[in-house]
Amino acid sequence: MIGASKIKQYSNVLEKPLSKGKQEVSLSAFAFLFSELVQYNQTQVDNIAELERRLEDAGYAVGARCLELLCHREKCVMFMPFWLSQGNRRETRLLGILSFVHSTVWKVLFGKVADSLEKGTEHEDEYMISEKELLVNRFISIPKDMGTFNCGAFVAGIVRGVLDSAGFPAVVTAHFVPMEGQQRPRTTILIKFAEEVLRREARLG
Amino acid sequence: MIVCVAVVGHQNNPLYIQSFTEADDALKLHHIVHCSLDVVDERVNNPKKSGPTLNETFLGLLYPTENYKVYGYLTNTKVKFILVTTDLDVRDVDVRNFFRRFHAAYVDAVSNPFHVPGKKITSRTFAERVSNIVKSFGLSST
Repeated sequence: MIGASKIKQYSNVLEKPLSKGKQEVSLSAFAFLFSELVQYNQTQVDNIAELERRLEDAGYAVGARCLELLCHREKCVMFMPFWLSQGNRRETRLLGILSFVHSTVWKVLFGKVADSLEKGTEHEDEYMISEKELLVNRFISIPKDMGTFNCGAFVAGIVRGVLDSAGFPAVVTAHFVPMEGQQRPRTTILIKFAEEVLRREARLG
Repeated sequence: MIVCVAVVGHQNNPLYIQSFTEADDALKLHHIVHCSLDVVDERVNNPKKSGPTLNETFLGLLYPTENYKVYGYLTNTKVKFILVTTDLDVRDVDVRNFFRRFHAAYVDAVSNPFHVPGKKITSRTFAERVSNIVKSFGLSST
């Protein structure tokens, strides 16, 4: 159950409740589930673009719920005085929501902050979050005939879900970026914000 | 005495409305909730730039009307919770507490993978939890 629980004093150590454990899921369980998800979708579609779209839609559902959950969890911090728990602010600025995705969301989902957050050079509305190796791609290798397909489309969907629910509609895609000197290419999540977001941002100054 | 609670989506579409008295006309309560949405929008668009009131989640007393008081709460995803009560002496702390538990119930209901965001919340568990929270609203204040 989400939310702060009452803290009771137990006289007998045997009466203490068991600890809640770490808020973690086993990587192998997730990898198995994700591989089943990809395989299931593969049987339903006949081209790569459709497969990417389906993975992205699955991620979108996760992202939308993730934002609600994080907003609530950051507020309900135990051991703090009740009036101090109004910690989380609603993000209205572009950089604010981007750093929220880059640090908080990544930390909750993957256990670490993303490797880097960059602003695109060619277009004003493009931002990139890069990661040396996406957690979801750890046990996946793409066959040659699939071309540029990236299972990171799931993570791109999550990011799109978070941004969309927070009021920043965007088009998010995942790409492989080959790096010199390294065997596996780096993964980049490319975020392209919609027109209205940029106009609103310019208006806010 | 809480008369009505409502969850309104980010496009001002109602996601969940529940009234807790048989006496009052349900339509009137719907109307009060609908009018309070304007006040919420006003608060959001013209924030009082004095310190911590910027981007707060708990909006406080929206407006008092005849014999009702209406409280508002805004989440990160622009989903609004509206609370209509007939109590005259409600403490701020109680209302904040109420909204915190209501937010917990809402997050649990939305985390359901079968729930479509934007559609009405049809979970019975959510309805039960909400009525539990409403019942313990006045009683927990000491």
